[in-house]
Amino acid sequence: MRLNGMRGAAGLAAFALAITLTGTLTGGPGPARAAEPIKIGVPAPLSGAYASAGIDIVNAAKLAADQINAKGGVLGRPLAIVPEDDACDAQTAVQAAQKLIDSGVVAVAGGYCSGAALPELSTLHRRNIPYVLDASTNPQLTEMGYKDAFRTIGRDDEQGPFAASFMTNVLHAKRAAVINDNTTYSKGLAVATVAALKKDGVDVVYNNAITPGQMDYSPVLTRVAALNPDVIYFTGYFAEGGLMVKESRQLNLKPVFMGGDSNQDPTLLKTAGSAANGMFITTAPLPQFLSGAKDFVDDYTQKFGHGPGPYSAYEYDSIGVVAKAIADAKSTAPQAINAALAQIRDYPGITGNISFNEKGDRSVAVYIVITVKNDQFAPYMRLDAQGQWVSMQ
Amino acid sequence: MQAFFQFTVEGLTIGAFYALVALGYTMVYGIIRLINFAHGDIFMVGAFLGWTLLITLAGTHLPMALALLVAFAVALIGSGALGVLIDRVAYQPLLSAPRLSILITALGVSLALENGVLLIYGPGFLTYPPLLSSAGFAIDGVQVSYAQTVMFIISLLLMVALYLFVQRTFIGTAMRALAVDQDAARLMGIDVERIIQITFFVGSFLAAAAGVMEGLYYTQISFFMGFLLGLRAFTAAVLGGIGNIPGAMAGGLLIGLLESYGAGYISSRWTDVFVFLVLIGVLVIKPTGLFGERVVERM
Repeated sequence: MRLNGMRGAAGLAAFALAITLTGTLTGGPGPARAAEPIKIGVPAPLSGAYASAGIDIVNAAKLAADQINAKGGVLGRPLAIVPEDDACDAQTAVQAAQKLIDSGVVAVAGGYCSGAALPELSTLHRRNIPYVLDASTNPQLTEMGYKDAFRTIGRDDEQGPFAASFMTNVLHAKRAAVINDNTTYSKGLAVATVAALKKDGVDVVYNNAITPGQMDYSPVLTRVAALNPDVIYFTGYFAEGGLMVKESRQLNLKPVFMGGDSNQDPTLLKTAGSAANGMFITTAPLPQFLSGAKDFVDDYTQKFGHGPGPYSAYEYDSIGVVAKAIADAKSTAPQAINAALAQIRDYPGITGNISFNEKGDRSVAVYIVITVKNDQFAPYMRLDAQGQWVSMQ
Repeated sequence: MQAFFQFTVEGLTIGAFYALVALGYTMVYGIIRLINFAHGDIFMVGAFLGWTLLITLAGTHLPMALALLVAFAVALIGSGALGVLIDRVAYQPLLSAPRLSILITALGVSLALENGVLLIYGPGFLTYPPLLSSAGFAIDGVQVSYAQTVMFIISLLLMVALYLFVQRTFIGTAMRALAVDQDAARLMGIDVERIIQITFFVGSFLAAAAGVMEGLYYTQISFFMGFLLGLRAFTAAVLGGIGNIPGAMAGGLLIGLLESYGAGYISSRWTDVFVFLVLIGVLVIKPTGLFGERVVERM
């Protein structure tokens, strides 16, 4: 305190202000205390390039909380969603997690970029606050031995082999090019895909990164095309994905263009226009393609005026799982919620039944391949229980 | 060899954008020795103005060609006016203050523009209506689209026009006089403040031209798009010799080509490393940049 007199004075003033404020807000006796809301944190990118995806996640969380509250809340208390912007950036993410801790959240459900979710997870772990991930697919997130990490979406090392299987068994590719964008998520998916492709005997002719944020990827695409791959798999995000699809069409490239799950975003369709038709994306099923999510899509569209984003349904289930765990634990102590989350078996979510394995991963993760038809995403193929590819068209 | 020509075509396309934006950096530096960090964001504002106009005009019955012309005109003049406004409000009061104050102000203006656009247009990506077809022609297997060709020609015409403007007109002469010695120019009866404003107008005008063309060509715009491009355009201006107009044009095209060859022959991950290595190499051998030999006369 002595180091900085001004800060000391400001601190005192803030303290005094805080006392006054608390005095006015909670000073009066009243029944308000009994229904004090249970706070659940939702970190997501609310600014920057991926803000649209983040807003879709926060919206889904609010919808889930509203519906739970309409049925009387959890333990007689309403749920309150505390959104926090992590800007898809590791440093901002640490601050976001810290702000959530300071605001008194008992659990966290959300996240989008794996690169931001990783430091969030470590920060929350110090307070044992459970974190249910709805969209971050990097394997490392649940490989750190934290008992408070859970995820309602699949992992990249499951998506990688799935993508590789589609390339070899459906597209009959002999040569493949894998392009990532140097982010945690993208690199993880690329590594998993390349490993699976090599195991399947596919020649990986190109495996390298691009610099995100550029506009023109024609030189990379020209280079890749010269290596004659049958398929190009881009594991980065939709902004660059859209540009690359468009530019590969402009260059008249022959290889089939495929993207990882982060390419499934309306922005890609708008950027690429008709050039996107015929491309493939490996992804967890969109809410529109989930039979159990019809009510959710309707409610969401009615409340927010537009359809849900690709991860909205997973966020909706993440909030649902957290609410169930709090109810099971009959407590809002983070450790108790953790223990209850680990015990969740076959929770009937709109994305399917949810159980967590010992790592906190969803025990059965579903992926499908979608395509772009008439400038719209459309389901294309999935793997059936016997591991055979079946059409979804 | 075919790949080499393809990389060259792509590099020139990218480089034309860099060159147009680099001109603004170099002109402002030449005249008031200011690295105008907000310049990349003027490029971004130009792209957003163009988008707003095209979207608004698409609702009317105006023929598309006319709408495009109006969008270009308004976006370019609007951004030019914004450049002048920024100069009036933020830079001119600080012209006699220490260099550092005005540099920090430029950073502040950059942040203000980015966040202003973020507030108005939101954080997501916006997309231009798909007006340019991806059709083109191939020479010996080298793909060139018509849009690419037209944009490159427009960029070149703008650059030539600027060169003639600076070299042949009365105002251009005044600009060059200002670059040599501001006090002497004032003594010769040149209205220094007005010439500085005209410089900002012209620089912002060109940046906005690049912005609208980038929007039309790549369709995707965001409030953050000026950052990386501004950085590379600034590098181009330094490479060509900051303060030198033909240098900025050459620097821009060169950076575009380097980026393209780097991505094509080495690795796209190392694009920036490659570009900056060349920059350092050039600066070691020729500290004034490629064209910046005459230190006395900067334009």
